[in-house]
Amino acid sequence: MTDSIHVDGATGSRRAPASRVGSHSFMPVVLGAPVLIWQLVFFAAPLAFLLVVTFWKVASFKLEPAFSFDNWTKVLLSGPYQKALVYTAGTASLATLLTVLVALPAAYTIAFRLSPKLRNLAVTCLIVPVFSSYLLRIYAWQIVLSPEGVINSVFKGLGGAGLSLLGGQLALQIGLLTLTLPVAILVLVLAFSGIDRTLIEAAENLGCRRSKVIVHVLLPSIRNAIVLAASTAFILSFGDYVSPLFMTGSNPPTLSILIVDTVKSGSQWPRASVIGITMLAALILVFVAGQLLTRTGKGAQ
Amino acid sequence: MNVPKFMSRDLSRRGFIKAGLAGAAVAATSKWSLAQAQEPNVLNYLSWPGNADPYLIADFEKEHGVTVRIKEYVGGDQMLAVINQSPPGSFDVVLADAEYMHLLHEADFIEELDPADYPLEDFFPEFQKFPLHWFDDKLYGVMTDFGYLGLSYNTDVYKPEEVQSYAALWAEKAQGKVGFFDWYLPSMGSISLAEGNRPPFDIDSEHFEAVKQKLFSLKPQASGFYTIADIFSSLTNGQTHLVPGIGEWITLGLRLNGVPVDTIIPDEGGLQWTESLSIVKGTPKADLARKFIQYTTSPEGQVKMATKVDNKKSIPSMAGWRLLNETMPTDAEILRLTFDAPNVMDEYKAGKIAFRQLPSQQSIEDWNDVWSEFKSL
Repeated sequence: MTDSIHVDGATGSRRAPASRVGSHSFMPVVLGAPVLIWQLVFFAAPLAFLLVVTFWKVASFKLEPAFSFDNWTKVLLSGPYQKALVYTAGTASLATLLTVLVALPAAYTIAFRLSPKLRNLAVTCLIVPVFSSYLLRIYAWQIVLSPEGVINSVFKGLGGAGLSLLGGQLALQIGLLTLTLPVAILVLVLAFSGIDRTLIEAAENLGCRRSKVIVHVLLPSIRNAIVLAASTAFILSFGDYVSPLFMTGSNPPTLSILIVDTVKSGSQWPRASVIGITMLAALILVFVAGQLLTRTGKGAQ
Repeated sequence: MNVPKFMSRDLSRRGFIKAGLAGAAVAATSKWSLAQAQEPNVLNYLSWPGNADPYLIADFEKEHGVTVRIKEYVGGDQMLAVINQSPPGSFDVVLADAEYMHLLHEADFIEELDPADYPLEDFFPEFQKFPLHWFDDKLYGVMTDFGYLGLSYNTDVYKPEEVQSYAALWAEKAQGKVGFFDWYLPSMGSISLAEGNRPPFDIDSEHFEAVKQKLFSLKPQASGFYTIADIFSSLTNGQTHLVPGIGEWITLGLRLNGVPVDTIIPDEGGLQWTESLSIVKGTPKADLARKFIQYTTSPEGQVKMATKVDNKKSIPSMAGWRLLNETMPTDAEILRLTFDAPNVMDEYKAGKIAFRQLPSQQSIEDWNDVWSEFKSL
């Protein structure tokens, strides 16, 4: 590799002819190296450090290098951790299901039922929230849902009793869907838009009703996009810290909240790292499962 | 695929530690800069947020021609973590909660002080020799301010006589409306008081177990576990009606802004938090640090401490009270720092107040674990 760089360097501004040996691999290396270095420095190295730290000890609030599995056993065997794991996985699964259930019809409507003008507007409306602060959007939901909030004021004005909306799974799912829906719908709209319209025409010409077209033509064609949207929704909601904190007041805590709690009480970075590593492992599992799903999909086609 | 060499290497114990140390070195670059800390006209102040507000320190900076540089921490654990991880000379003066003073002293982080240097005789007699600031009859911290933690409640929902006892927390009326400050110490301390434990933090394993069960029985009542900011919003938007283990440092400001909240010290008692200033061991600027403590405990400094807009506190100095009553009588009344009317010393004199302290018969971790378990029930 250094040879090829040397050769190109020697030819200088004369520009190496395309046939010169090595020049084919030169540009990709030059263009790719920063990305690779970036990944190593800012992703691989911190990740390795995170793993290393899980074996360390904390003595009088200071991290001390050690090689002990105490943190792993302490965390994995603790009741709060196990409960938080089940709760977080359950919450994220529900959020994923809801996201797909809401996003599919929404994306279908945007892609097939709206005029081009309205479609562009809808897509813009989906993109804007992605670039606005998620924290702000959650605070806005707090104002809407709280006992003295917008919904309750209207409801009480109509003579109803106050509703307890904030706190609990309803508020949490509203918060998580705020995060996942725009992304999921965008992914699915793009996928729907990419479908070859002649396939739909052919199905209709052969006498398929719309529902049959959707089930047998549209959904199979965007299978990969559905898996992508679902796994993205799961990853986003599994690791989310903001919604559980502000929509349910950490009651009960998720794994992300447990990480913060672990650090807050006694600077237990090693134990927090254990939780972090297990969360990463769970996400990798979900990602691999998604990959397998898309692969079997390809095989079936 | 090129696997980076260091990843394919056998991860031996030594390799592990080496890799970790390299990472730690990277992490260390974000630390407090020692070079800056050692500039002669800078006072390095380790403190809770907000204590370098110009309202508090501008006069001191002008008088001595120095800059106060604050490193903020949230909570005593974080304070200990920062001071443990910083090289000597990083800080000159530290503001600490009383319950952490013995840890600072045992770890040899703070200097012994000469009582004659400070206006202790101005203080209420109760606070002149505050037990948590003296070790072996030697002074290590000078009290700057204090406050009580009891039961804070929504005054639209509860009359004062309904919240005379912590039992209100378990009442049907409070179901799903009890908010908790997400810190085990004051929250579990209140429950320990409700259990009749005096002092609340020095309890044997049997009583600790009883506190645990009592706490766990509160779970159906819980609306959530809040940070300081969220305590404010959940009391304001009506999500919580009762919060044990907080005090006027939260409810007074809210009430002045029209939120219907107040704090009561229930019959079972309340907790006292206390802040004090100490000189950090090994500082070359002990002289300046001493002057800073003298300034903060002077009548003028005390008045500022009591009336800072975002965090109202009680002050231990009678001279401070006198100046406050002369210059800002309305504030003195609101803060209950007047001599001729019911004032903040009444609860103290009535023996209703226990110090907020670290658990003495169990480890901090034991209490924290119970708190984590409670949250995840």
